[in-house]
Amino acid sequence: MIPASEFKWILPEIILTGWALVLLLIGGFSKGALSSRISGILCLVGSFSALFCTLNLWGVNIDIFNKLYTIDDYGTFLKVVFLIVLTLVTIISFRYTEREGIASGEYYSLLMFGVLGMMVMVSSHHFITIFIGLEVMSLSIYILCGLLRNNVKSVEASLKYFLLGAFATAFLLYGIALIYGSTGILDLVELKRYLLTKQPFAVTMFLAGIGLLIVGFGFKIASVPFHMWTPDVYQGAPTSITAYMATGVKAAAFGALVRVFYTALLPFICGWSTILWVIAVLTMCIGNITALVQRDVKRLLAYSSIAHAGYILVAFITGDREFTSSILFYLLVYTFMNIGAFTVVIMLGRNGEENTDIDSYAGLGVRRPFIALCMSIFLLSLAGIPPLAGFAGKFYVISAAVKSQYYWLAVIAVLNSVVAAYYYLRIITNMYFKEPIRELGVIDDAPQYGFVMLVCVWALFHMGIFPRMFILLAQQATRIFL
Amino acid sequence: MIGIDIGFKWFIFVVTALLATGSSLMMVTRKNPIHSALWLIVTFFSIAIIYVLLNATFIAVAQVMVYAGAIMMLVLFVIMLIHLEWGKAQPAPKYSFPKLMGGLITVMFFLQVLAGIMAYTNIGKKDTYTPEMLASMGNTQAIGTLLYGKYVFAFEIASILLLVGIIGAVVLAKKIKD
Amino acid sequence: MADYIWLIPVFPAIGFLINGLLGIKFPKTLTAWVACLSVFCSFVVSAIIFKQFLDLPAEARVFEMTAFDWIVSGDFSTQIAFRIDALSIIMCLIVSGVGSLIHVYSVGYMHGEAGFRRFFTYLNLFVFMMLILVTADNLLLMFVGWEGVGLCSYLLIGYYYEKDSAANAGKKAFIVNRIGDLGFLLGVFLLVTTLASNGVWTLKYSELQANAHLLTPALAMAITLLFFLGATGKSAQIPLYVWLPDAMEGPTPVSSLIHAATMVTAGVYMIARLNFFYTMAPTTLLVITIIGLLTAFFAATIGCAQYDIKRVLAYSTVSQLGYMFVGVGAGAYAAGIFHLMTHAFFKGLLFLGAGSVMHAMSGELDMRKMGGLRKKIPITYWTCFIACLAIAGVPGLSGFFSKDEILWMTYSRNGANIWFWLFGAATAGLTAFYMFRMFFNTFHGTCRASEEVKHHIHESPKVMTIPLMVLAVLSLVGGYVGVPHLLGGSNYIEKWLEPVFGHAPAPAAQSMHAFDLSVIGNAFASSGASGTVHETSAELYLMIAAIVIGLSGIFIAWLFYVKNPELPKKFVKKFDGLFNLVHNKYFVDEIYGFIFVNNLFRLGNLCKNFFDEKIIDGIINGTASLVAGMGGLLRRLQNGLVQGYAFAMILGAIFVLYFMIRMIP
Repeated sequence: MIPASEFKWILPEIILTGWALVLLLIGGFSKGALSSRISGILCLVGSFSALFCTLNLWGVNIDIFNKLYTIDDYGTFLKVVFLIVLTLVTIISFRYTEREGIASGEYYSLLMFGVLGMMVMVSSHHFITIFIGLEVMSLSIYILCGLLRNNVKSVEASLKYFLLGAFATAFLLYGIALIYGSTGILDLVELKRYLLTKQPFAVTMFLAGIGLLIVGFGFKIASVPFHMWTPDVYQGAPTSITAYMATGVKAAAFGALVRVFYTALLPFICGWSTILWVIAVLTMCIGNITALVQRDVKRLLAYSSIAHAGYILVAFITGDREFTSSILFYLLVYTFMNIGAFTVVIMLGRNGEENTDIDSYAGLGVRRPFIALCMSIFLLSLAGIPPLAGFAGKFYVISAAVKSQYYWLAVIAVLNSVVAAYYYLRIITNMYFKEPIRELGVIDDAPQYGFVMLVCVWALFHMGIFPRMFILLAQQATRIFL
Repeated sequence: MIGIDIGFKWFIFVVTALLATGSSLMMVTRKNPIHSALWLIVTFFSIAIIYVLLNATFIAVAQVMVYAGAIMMLVLFVIMLIHLEWGKAQPAPKYSFPKLMGGLITVMFFLQVLAGIMAYTNIGKKDTYTPEMLASMGNTQAIGTLLYGKYVFAFEIASILLLVGIIGAVVLAKKIKD
Repeated sequence: MADYIWLIPVFPAIGFLINGLLGIKFPKTLTAWVACLSVFCSFVVSAIIFKQFLDLPAEARVFEMTAFDWIVSGDFSTQIAFRIDALSIIMCLIVSGVGSLIHVYSVGYMHGEAGFRRFFTYLNLFVFMMLILVTADNLLLMFVGWEGVGLCSYLLIGYYYEKDSAANAGKKAFIVNRIGDLGFLLGVFLLVTTLASNGVWTLKYSELQANAHLLTPALAMAITLLFFLGATGKSAQIPLYVWLPDAMEGPTPVSSLIHAATMVTAGVYMIARLNFFYTMAPTTLLVITIIGLLTAFFAATIGCAQYDIKRVLAYSTVSQLGYMFVGVGAGAYAAGIFHLMTHAFFKGLLFLGAGSVMHAMSGELDMRKMGGLRKKIPITYWTCFIACLAIAGVPGLSGFFSKDEILWMTYSRNGANIWFWLFGAATAGLTAFYMFRMFFNTFHGTCRASEEVKHHIHESPKVMTIPLMVLAVLSLVGGYVGVPHLLGGSNYIEKWLEPVFGHAPAPAAQSMHAFDLSVIGNAFASSGASGTVHETSAELYLMIAAIVIGLSGIFIAWLFYVKNPELPKKFVKKFDGLFNLVHNKYFVDEIYGFIFVNNLFRLGNLCKNFFDEKIIDGIINGTASLVAGMGGLLRRLQNGLVQGYAFAMILGAIFVLYFMIRMIP
């Protein structure tokens, strides 16, 4: 039986579920702009209270619910990241849902369910919980992608994501099944203990299981060659959801990937690091090179998110437990720069017309200097220019590779960030040095957007100039792998 | 199923496994959706038999009732409601290059997995639920104990998964407001 | 107690942020208040700390405070940390005190300008950077301030960026400063590697001082020379002084604050700060003295032949900075800092006075078109008069004490000789001459301005004259903190700075000098040849000689420009070639242009035309088109069909599985 006292550890999850249900009810009983606003504010309150409860869990390390669920600093760190994503996305959605006529009750409750899935997914060392969490997250996002129902692209994105996501889930599940079949174990900690005593490496079934896990997770983190859904889905989905996906889903997928591989499969690093080496290089190169020829900013950011997955993989494959923190730090940094950039994308769009073409940004520096400045900061951070946080993140990741003597990988990563600088700077040159090609209407201006941008800018500067505290936190979070 | 001779069990397994694979192949290659749906039912049934062979009688029954029964009924309803018109679509070439390639690499993939599984030697630990024990306590009880005992948390999260599915169905199927 | 010293630099930073980020819609008054108050708050904090220092015993007058770790890399770590001691508190008081006066003055001076907010934003940023420079407790943070003030200087010189000459002057200042900064950086690198090879990883002054003994004399010389190269850039010494006269393109308060009172003295401050290294390197000190003297003398001669009043002041600044280097080069760091302080008062005042004159004369700068302004702008006249007396070294005013201290040091310190003193004294005479040349031309005689300008002449508003008066008072009395023992004073400033610079080394034996004035002095001395009398009399005679030289400079100027205004023309006619040479600043700019700038441009063009366009661009464009081509190819794969995507996934899965299964032994 489960002692009731264990429920206090999942208070953030309970809060999210409860608020999501409340929002659903509100959405069902009221309509119009007022209800949309109320839902938004309630969602914000919910995410804040969940964030507060999560912060209180820092330092707690405990297995609960028959070891199906775990509270530890690693999970808590990532939960905080998800809740930050939720908070920021909620704030930018206030106007966006109204503008695009999205059913707000369902929208916000699905956002919360999605975060719930992410939280479940990263805070368990049991394959079943991880899998179900991943499915809760994925299913919420399949639906969120299709919420612009008048927009063919949005519906298409939703369907594509759903089909390919189901396909990838099959791989993942198959992988889990093969691992279970060969060892009879679903718990990662037990699996680790088992692997240290026995030698199942010779068993191909187990190896095939790991391979399929890589495929399944590779899809969620958008690594090549499982990345092809990314640009289409990112482009088609409502922009706020794109921001949510690019940050939350990526962080959750990496969180689960790191936990699975670093908890249990680290003794077997020689097996998976080679293949992931190839995947990382392909991901960085193809992501960046394809981004070069994009003219649509949303698509460009999608490819850039693929490339960033490659950078994170660089730190991942070193298998250096000391440097696991670099992954967490990168994910945190990445959250702010991406949400910031997508906020600007949202501001430039209007109902039914997204204006994501790169020409729409021409002359922004003159017309709206503040927005252009913020966008430049986000892009420069994505490009990894000091003193912004993107640089600190990239530096930390690459130093992980260097320390583990993956010199070629480090070189390739650096070369890639050079290529990447080109397309980020292209947007900036467009904003500052080009005349507007066509007359653009009013920019969707609201204090919420400004607030989010300022928060992101501040975070990027703060984490870029004083990264120490955050790195220490990340190091404490990843102490469980030592 | 304890009493059955191992050789006979093996024979049944091979037959049902081939049936499952063959029927699912048929299902994806049929042009007529109704035929596909019917072949899918065959697949479900053969898988149900495999469950029985594995002493998982409860799941076998659930498989037949839920999948082969309820879900397929829904699928057939939907197909009839949509009422696609046959034959008007351009007939695709029978053996196009993409099709061949797709078939080829799919076969390759499964051969690889097969290669993995064939090399299987039972190194894993056995669970506490042996066939003898199942026979004594009953399949349903065993599942119930697990689902509402050890795995209750996963079960609860799965309920949220279903809830999200329902919300999605409602949201996406709702009438579009102007 | 030391916890709040970080407030000193932070206040101007706040002002900078408020005006820079939020100030778009501020009315001018608010901008002005924010800017002035922020600097004034720094001054108040500095003054409070100064007060506390006074109550403390000399060796306890050090406040240190670490804000946070800045760069941590292996064994090396650097903090954002501040250090206030006897030296930096003087600098803080000067920077924030003179700074706030000049801020107030600028409110009046810049009133009609369009870039009012921009000006004050930059000015606050400058004060912030300058305070960082002087309060930093390690070389790296000092370098941040060092570069920061360079940047602000560039921005403010180019304040009228629509004017080509201003933009070019800004560029020139920046580039010339970069050359010096390179020296500074190389010095830091050499220092770090040298210390690191001895297992010491630090850039903190106190730790550097404790570990200074690790340096060999040769290394100490190399490091100090590199740092001095940095100082020649920032403090406009030969050979890098050329940017300062051009920097006069900026608004006059900028010239006053940055190019006279504070930033250009950073080099002197830096050498004084690192005195423990310089003391180890006598050769460097000699180099500094010689460079200082040459700069002082040549700049003074150029100053005699300029007509633009701001240029005269600019060359005068270069020349006075030379004096300060002579002081620190003689090992008399306290004398250098003393002159730095008095110079900040009277040169700041002179520039502000020049600004006030320009204000009255509708922007006119040519002294040939001035004259007779004495009656029309009396406050400016009297304050300028005090400043001119001070800089000319008339006894009793601030410049007299500090200049005399330096002159005496050139004579009495180790390695010095009488030629140094003669050069210094001659410079002092020249200084007196050109300052009064400018003064008489501007304020006396008949007014040579056009009628229209004449009509508009008026005294500046109070907001400008009050800072003038305050600075005039300081120029009058500022010297009394360093009255030498000879005149019955206690040389308080030297004693104050003793914890930083240590005891002043004993004067050298006079007999080493070829031409020994003290012998003559001795002849006049009434009784016994004891050492102190011997020295005292020499000091007294040298002082009297310097006073005479200075006064005769003033007298010649009076003769030339008041008594007999035809005399200069005759003089110019007679020494036509010499005058042209000096008037054209010895053609140094042209020589630099011919040797360095032109050749560099040629090299640059070569690089651009051949290396850059052909080779580099070829490679880059080739790579770029290759990458773009690949991108185009990859884009084609992305055709939007789910089947294709799934196909790629399966391919990937096969690939992954192949790798995994291959692992079987």
